[in-house]
Parts: sequence; C-alpha cells; structure tokens
Amino acid sequence: MIRVLTPRRLLSNLFSLIVIVLLGGFAAAALVRYSPGFSSIPEDLDPSISPETLQALHARYEDSNPLPVFYARYLAGTFKGGFGISTALNQPVADLLRRRAPVTAKLIAMGTAGGLLLGALLAWMAVWTRKAYLETAAFSLSGLLLAVPPAVLALAFFFNQAPLAIALALALFPRLFGTMRTLLDDAWRSPTLLAARARGVGPGVIASRYVLGGAIPQIVALLGVALVLAFGAAIPIEVICGVPGIGALALQAAVGRDMPLLCALALIITFFVTFVHSVGDLLA
Amino acid sequence: MKQKIAIAILALVALCALLAPVIAPYDYSRQFRDTPHATASSQFLMGTDDLGRDRLSRLIYATRVSILLAPAAALVSVMLALLLSGFTSLTTLCLSLPWIFLFIILRALMPLNTRPLESILLTFALMGVAGWAWPARIFGASIEQMKQSGWLLQARASGIGSRRIALVHVWPHLRAIAWAQLRVLVPAYILSEASLGLIGLGVAEPLPSWGNLLAELQRPEAVHSNPWVLAPLGLLMIVMICLEQVAP
Repeated sequence: MIRVLTPRRLLSNLFSLIVIVLLGGFAAAALVRYSPGFSSIPEDLDPSISPETLQALHARYEDSNPLPVFYARYLAGTFKGGFGISTALNQPVADLLRRRAPVTAKLIAMGTAGGLLLGALLAWMAVWTRKAYLETAAFSLSGLLLAVPPAVLALAFFFNQAPLAIALALALFPRLFGTMRTLLDDAWRSPTLLAARARGVGPGVIASRYVLGGAIPQIVALLGVALVLAFGAAIPIEVICGVPGIGALALQAAVGRDMPLLCALALIITFFVTFVHSVGDLLA
Repeated sequence: MKQKIAIAILALVALCALLAPVIAPYDYSRQFRDTPHATASSQFLMGTDDLGRDRLSRLIYATRVSILLAPAAALVSVMLALLLSGFTSLTTLCLSLPWIFLFIILRALMPLNTRPLESILLTFALMGVAGWAWPARIFGASIEQMKQSGWLLQARASGIGSRRIALVHVWPHLRAIAWAQLRVLVPAYILSEASLGLIGLGVAEPLPSWGNLLAELQRPEAVHSNPWVLAPLGLLMIVMICLEQVAP
C-alpha cells in the first residue's frame, strides 16, 4: 500500500515523535531512579568513610523530589537551554555531549555505511552472478560474523590498530545481508526487470534504474534499522576500546549515579531511535 | 542434514552443561595457587587462569550458565509478548526506548556487592523483560490478521465461545510463531550476555559465564601465552552457528 506524504501525516509523525521522546525520557528516568542499586554508591563499601560522610554523599546523589517533579523541573531546565550539570563529572551536560557525540556519530556513520556497502556488494554477487559458490561464501561469511560478539571483533581490530568502524561494519553486515539479498532477489525476479533484460538493457541501467530505483523505500527503512543496530553495537565497542563517545559516557554516568546526565542521554537516544524510525516510516 | 548435525552438537553441549558437576575435573572456583597461568597439561587440559582456576572446569560451568539461562530469558520475553501484544501503544513506546542503553545502565547501577547468583538472575531477567517488544509486535500483527480471517469469522458465527476460540483456534497458530521467536531470541541473548560480560557487567565472579571468560581476551598477552583462552570464543561460535542452522 502506497501512503502519500501529506502535511497532516508529517504533523502526526512529529506529534508522535515528541510524545514518545517525552514518555521515553520519563520511562528511562523512572527505571533508573527506582532500580534496586540506585541508592547504593561505591563509597558504601569503603569502611574508612564515616556514616555522616556517607549520608552527605547519598544526599548529593539522590534528588529528594518525587520523580515527576524532578522530571518536570529537568525538562523545564532543558527547554531553557542546556541539560543541567553532571553530578559525577561536575561539568555542564551540554558540553559533555558536544564533545562526545561527534565521536559516536562518526563511528556509527562509518560503520553503518561500511555494513550496508558490504551487505549490498555480497548480496549483489550472490543474486546477480547466480553462482552457487559465491552465494555459499556470502552466507558462510555472514553466519560466521553473526556468531561473534561485536565487542570481540572490535578487540581484534583494536589490538591490531585497525579502524574500529570496520569492526562495526563487519558486526552490522550479517544483520543486513539477509534483507538485502531478499530485496535484490525480489527485484531480479520481477517481471519489469525480466522484460528489461529481454530487451537487452545493459547491467548498469538495470542496476541503477530498475533495482535501486525500485528498492529505495526499503533501503531507507533498512538504513533506519541499521543505524539503531549500529548504535547498540557501538556502546560495548566504545566501552571496551576506551573510545570517548556516548557509550562510554553512559557507563560513567551510571556508575556515578548521575541523574541529569542519564536523563539527557535517555532523551537524546530515544529521540535518535524514534526519529530514525519516523523518517523511515515517512519515506517508505 | 545440516540441521540434524546442528541439533546433535547442541544436544551434546547442553548435556555437558547439565552434567557439569559430574564431568568437570574440578570445581569452577577451586584455586590451585601454586600453578597460576599454567599451560595445558595432563592435570589441567586447558591450563589455568591468573587465579590458578582450571579453565576446562570453568568453561563447562560457564556453558551451563549461558546455554540454560538464555532460553529461560527468551521464554520470559515470549510470554510477556503474548500477554502484552494487545497493547499496541505500549509496544510502540517500548520499541522506541533505547533498550541496550537502558540495559547497560540498569546493570551498571547494581550494587558492587551483588552476589554472583543474584547477578546471573538479574542479567537474564533484565534481558527477558527488555526483549518482549519485538515479539509482541509480531504477535499483534498475527492476531490482527487472524481477526480478519474467514475461519475465525465462521467460528464466531457458529457460536463458539471466546475462550475456546483462543485455545483451540488461535493458540495453534500463535504457538508456531512463539516457537520461532524463541529460536530467534536465544542466540540474541547468548550474544548479549557475552557482550555484557566482556565489559564487566555480566555474571559476577567467581561464577563463570561465557561473557566473563571472554573478558580475558582484553589481555592479548594471555592469548599469546595460552591459546586455550580462545576456547570460550570457539565454543560460543560453534553454538551460535548451530543455533543459526536451527533458526526459522
């Protein structure tokens, strides 16, 4: 079913995006605030710290306001500018995000582009050449890479001083390859393409006009899924390889019970995930 | 044929995992303090780790943790998905939440003195609870499709009660989807536990899991001195490839 992109549909998507981001941010803040370990801090295990100091440290970490009040105040502060001050790192959250986000964005962009290109190339080889050994090789590589945790792939690249984006691309490739192969196979079997081939249309025109042209909505939807998958895989990669990005910052925020930073990250990441899905939905 | 071989290998691994206390040469936490970092020998077939614990015994016990609890977490996800598949808005909201981010955050928030058994249950329970939204969407779509089917309309027109329709007519269709979802989620959870263990947020020591055994890969000198450090990765890959073969 083809859905036309109308201003009403655009507004409806924008409204859903805002509601989901606000609800998602609140849900994330609630999960963090009421998790069993939120009120315990690493200093609790240090016998040399006096009970009074511990009490003062707990008071610093915990906001005495009920969660809805905290969240409303936090959002009001966010709309005025900035995301507050990080309690663990004692720096403006906006500054931290400004420094860390480009690192993660670059890793995700390069990893996603690499994963999509590798997936497309191998899917093309498997479908277009109609050679059984190439298809078997592509499926075997995909299956092998799917069996390795992305962080292990990243470690192999890290110790050999190779770009981590390639590790991310290799981790994403098997998760995209199957869909891309199906897309290309459907295009190959379509009557339009069969007619074009029968008319003697060259492979270049077939690839650009018939295959890519027809598959753009699905590719956009796949790009959205790939970006979200890349973000999920990038977090452990950043943490394990010491990349100063959003993933490593999230872990630091959690270990330091840094509520303003955790809320900012939850809002931004929920926005990212929802935005990517909405764009895919609008363009599909 | 491939599927049969995969099932046989998985059954063998599961059997070894179940019989861990019988077939493991030593207890997973027993330390041989005179022989830390030992290479493979007749006493320690895969050598020992830096605390002098037998690698083979730890790998067998780790297999028990990873291979038995991942299906349990997948079962929790599928059951939650079945229960909540009717709540479309909740499913959409949960699909938009950055679960991997929240999962790492929630696991990192746990107290440092969390007991090993609690850490296992918590890790897999979080996975089970966090992973329900995708299967719920698939269940929701299937139920919507069934609602418009002719056979369901006929069943309703024949005066069959809702409970009987759900149990006798709808459930057999959903059961196949649930089984397929289980087979998709199990490898995903095994990999998630391995990733979490690698960054130190999985199962707490001294209890072994594939994740915390893989954490040793962060020290390349350990791999060079004893290649058996790679054994957990090898076993993980074999199990994952076998699970891919039996996946829908």
